[in-house]
Amino acid sequence: MPLEKELAFFEAKKSELLKTHAGKFALIHEEEFVDAFDTAENAYDAGVAKFGKAAFLVKKISDEPEVYRNQAFVLGLMNARI
Amino acid sequence: MPVFDFFHWDKDRGYTLAETGAILQVTVGIPPALEQFCLKSGVPIPAPVAGYALIDTGASASAVHEQVFADFGVQPIDHIPMSTPHTKDKFSFVYPAKIQFPGLNLVGDGTYRVVGCELKWTTFDNKEIIMLMGRDLLKYFLMVYNGVQSDVTLSY
Repeated sequence: MPLEKELAFFEAKKSELLKTHAGKFALIHEEEFVDAFDTAENAYDAGVAKFGKAAFLVKKISDEPEVYRNQAFVLGLMNARI
Repeated sequence: MPVFDFFHWDKDRGYTLAETGAILQVTVGIPPALEQFCLKSGVPIPAPVAGYALIDTGASASAVHEQVFADFGVQPIDHIPMSTPHTKDKFSFVYPAKIQFPGLNLVGDGTYRVVGCELKWTTFDNKEIIMLMGRDLLKYFLMVYNGVQSDVTLSY
């Protein structure tokens, strides 16, 4: 699965990152924390500058995980699948 | 404060807003940073994909048909859970994209985070829906949904 290493690394380092960079966006490539940025866009731009088209993770450093909610999917109102 | 009106009407069917939902034209392209990288590397820049976005006030975030990113060769940048009871333990990838709405004169060069999903379908008049415009974008707009007149007004 894409980003498997990066996600595992993020989870392992999350409590540490929360102490120092809460609310920012972490840029992670494989098992390396590159830096934290104020916006996801800045983190992405830095990731492309450093890693080009390779996979990297841009993850919000937060206690509350980002969750995708869609009521239409819940209610079956929409012909789409995630 | 520019105001844009989207009248949903068909010559054979009349008012169509209730049938299609509130839709507007959208183009989805690779993020500007990746465009620059491709330019410098001599790699062809994939052309943006044009289609329609369905305004979806029930969606917390905007979503784009995932195959679009596979065709672009754009990698996901995050993996987030879905919260719905019917999709427990399901996750979706998040992708970076340049989103533009030609009908709103919004041609900014920002990079948006959008959720990848299996979405593509067509309306009765063959308009391809490739995006759900969720509350992450709608928070920038004033919207009037006029079901009686089959009309949607957006302003920002």
